[in-house]
Amino acid sequence: MSYFLQLVVSGIVVGSIYALSALGFVLIYKSSRVLNIAHGQLIATGAFITYALAVWAGIHIALAFFLSLIITFFIAMSVERVFLRRLIGEPIISVIMVTIGLMSILDGLIYLTPFGTLNFSFPEFLPTTPIRLGGVSISWTQLVGVIITTILIGGFSWFFRKSTLGISMRAVSDDQLASMSIGISIPRVFGLAWAAAGFSAAAAGTIIGNITGLNFETLQAFGITVFPVVILGGLDSIIGAVVAGIIMGLIQQFAAGYLDGHWGLHGTASLLPYIILLVILLFKPHGLFGIHEIERV
Amino acid sequence: MIMAVNRWLATGNYFTTYKQEQRIFQTNLDRTVFIAFLMVVFTWPLFFDVSSKYMLVVDNILIAIIAVIGLNLLTGFAGLISIGHAAFVGVGAYTLASFSRVLGDSHVLITHAWPLMLLISGGVGAVIGAFVGLPALRLKHLYLAIATLSFQMIFLWIINFSTFFNQGQTIFIGRAYWLTGQVARDDHYLFWYYVMLVIVVMCGFGVRNLIRTRYGRCLVAVRDNDRAADAMGMHPGLTKVYAFALAGFFAGVAGALHAYLFRGVGFESFTLGHSITYLAMAIVGGLGTLVGSFFGPTAIYMLDLKVENVAEYAGTIFSETMNLATGLRPLTFGLIIVLFLMFEPRGIANWWRISRSYFKLWPFRF
Repeated sequence: MSYFLQLVVSGIVVGSIYALSALGFVLIYKSSRVLNIAHGQLIATGAFITYALAVWAGIHIALAFFLSLIITFFIAMSVERVFLRRLIGEPIISVIMVTIGLMSILDGLIYLTPFGTLNFSFPEFLPTTPIRLGGVSISWTQLVGVIITTILIGGFSWFFRKSTLGISMRAVSDDQLASMSIGISIPRVFGLAWAAAGFSAAAAGTIIGNITGLNFETLQAFGITVFPVVILGGLDSIIGAVVAGIIMGLIQQFAAGYLDGHWGLHGTASLLPYIILLVILLFKPHGLFGIHEIERV
Repeated sequence: MIMAVNRWLATGNYFTTYKQEQRIFQTNLDRTVFIAFLMVVFTWPLFFDVSSKYMLVVDNILIAIIAVIGLNLLTGFAGLISIGHAAFVGVGAYTLASFSRVLGDSHVLITHAWPLMLLISGGVGAVIGAFVGLPALRLKHLYLAIATLSFQMIFLWIINFSTFFNQGQTIFIGRAYWLTGQVARDDHYLFWYYVMLVIVVMCGFGVRNLIRTRYGRCLVAVRDNDRAADAMGMHPGLTKVYAFALAGFFAGVAGALHAYLFRGVGFESFTLGHSITYLAMAIVGGLGTLVGSFFGPTAIYMLDLKVENVAEYAGTIFSETMNLATGLRPLTFGLIIVLFLMFEPRGIANWWRISRSYFKLWPFRF
């Protein structure tokens, strides 16, 4: 039983990180209908900036984290400004392919830094002894990670519900023409969506980096695991991203805990999300919470 | 009034029937130039002594051309993004590898009956392609891009974790035989150059013909407006599945050729990075054009050679541990994709079109 509970706890930890990564992805998709293939690279960039600030520049880690959020915010905003702004109105296929190119560019830039090939780990700034509750243990980094994730997701949902900017972003995602007519600047909203995505990606990256260590391949893989999560949750639903993220984390942990080693199976945790993705695409393509667009000719 | 047209010197557009417009070669000059070009391509290795390093590059370009023809059908003509084309190529290569695993790497079927093997690999590629494309029955291209991406991940997982596929380590393929006996080590690259050349020419004519048939026009119609295509009696979903099968076929053949050329199959040639490279080739060449499938791989491989040189040169300056080549390659490919999409979305094929019409209409500007 405690084995099961342990899996549940670590599933929730991983899942909340998925939720945070998926959040940024959904933000971009919701406002501008762009599939951001380069999201994993944004996550990695955020994590590396935090590390560079905290270790190489010697800033306190909390401040470094905060600064990294801001820097990635502006990086993502300028990416939108430079590459995607001029593609507004182009067919969606070329916009997606621009993000594929972007992924390649960011890959190349990261490989040019030491982060591309070497492994780093954040300095320990929390107690290393895990917290034990009955048979279940959770490390401090994981706990802090979950807390920060919860705060950020809460903050984002407040932002979308109450603030004027958030409401205007929702309006744009609902109907671009109507929101233009009431004076919302669409390019500005797109830029903000990317910036917010960069913000959440940096947070996710730093939290992952704290838990698993900084490895480019791992961080980048989170950007691709985001796809099963957002498809499960529905591409344009923020609640969906959160719920599906946690479900996906649980599924992965259960797969690793119960399937691996039996019947000659290994590494099922990295496979199962994609199989789920294909099954959902076949049978319930709009996911758990996505809006089913009805086409009328 | 129908003007008498000299089919050698025709400069304008004199079509009076649709049939005329759909001819593969519009003028005799076109045909002559094409035949001359083919003769040059087939005979140049006889006159120049090419080192096997460069012959290998040429062979790689030809393989990529076959794969990109398939990708171009899928992404250019049918408008479906595939971020898993390298996995389809891998399906072809691993079909051959499974034969090698079951029968032994020098079984007669592999060494003597390689044309059959190429066809089988293509067929398996087509079946898997159609299977991955099944969500197309219900979905639009956004979701399909994700389906292909997940196929890429599943493919790599299966290769890396199953003992049948040697967990991604190299599986050897025997040397092929030709009429004169086993292909010698020195002639290996040259032999496959000719084989691939014949296949590329066949693929080129095949696609050119496909595009002017009912099925080819279906693909384009579904890309441009699937609802209108539906209203005109086509089945958009089936057309998309069909496009996936076609792309899978070309990729499968390319994969089997890749396996024969390198005499082995390993997972590292079929990663996500390669999928993106194929996409870059298709975009740079020009999506939705046949000539683009030829220009794209050539341009990208040329660029790749240059990048390698630059990386080597820069490696002598910066003696640090950082790996310049692994960084510069994705960086240039990404930049090329983005720049072409932003400034020349129709690719190199457009430059080709412009220069052709310039010569055709000369001395008039328009």
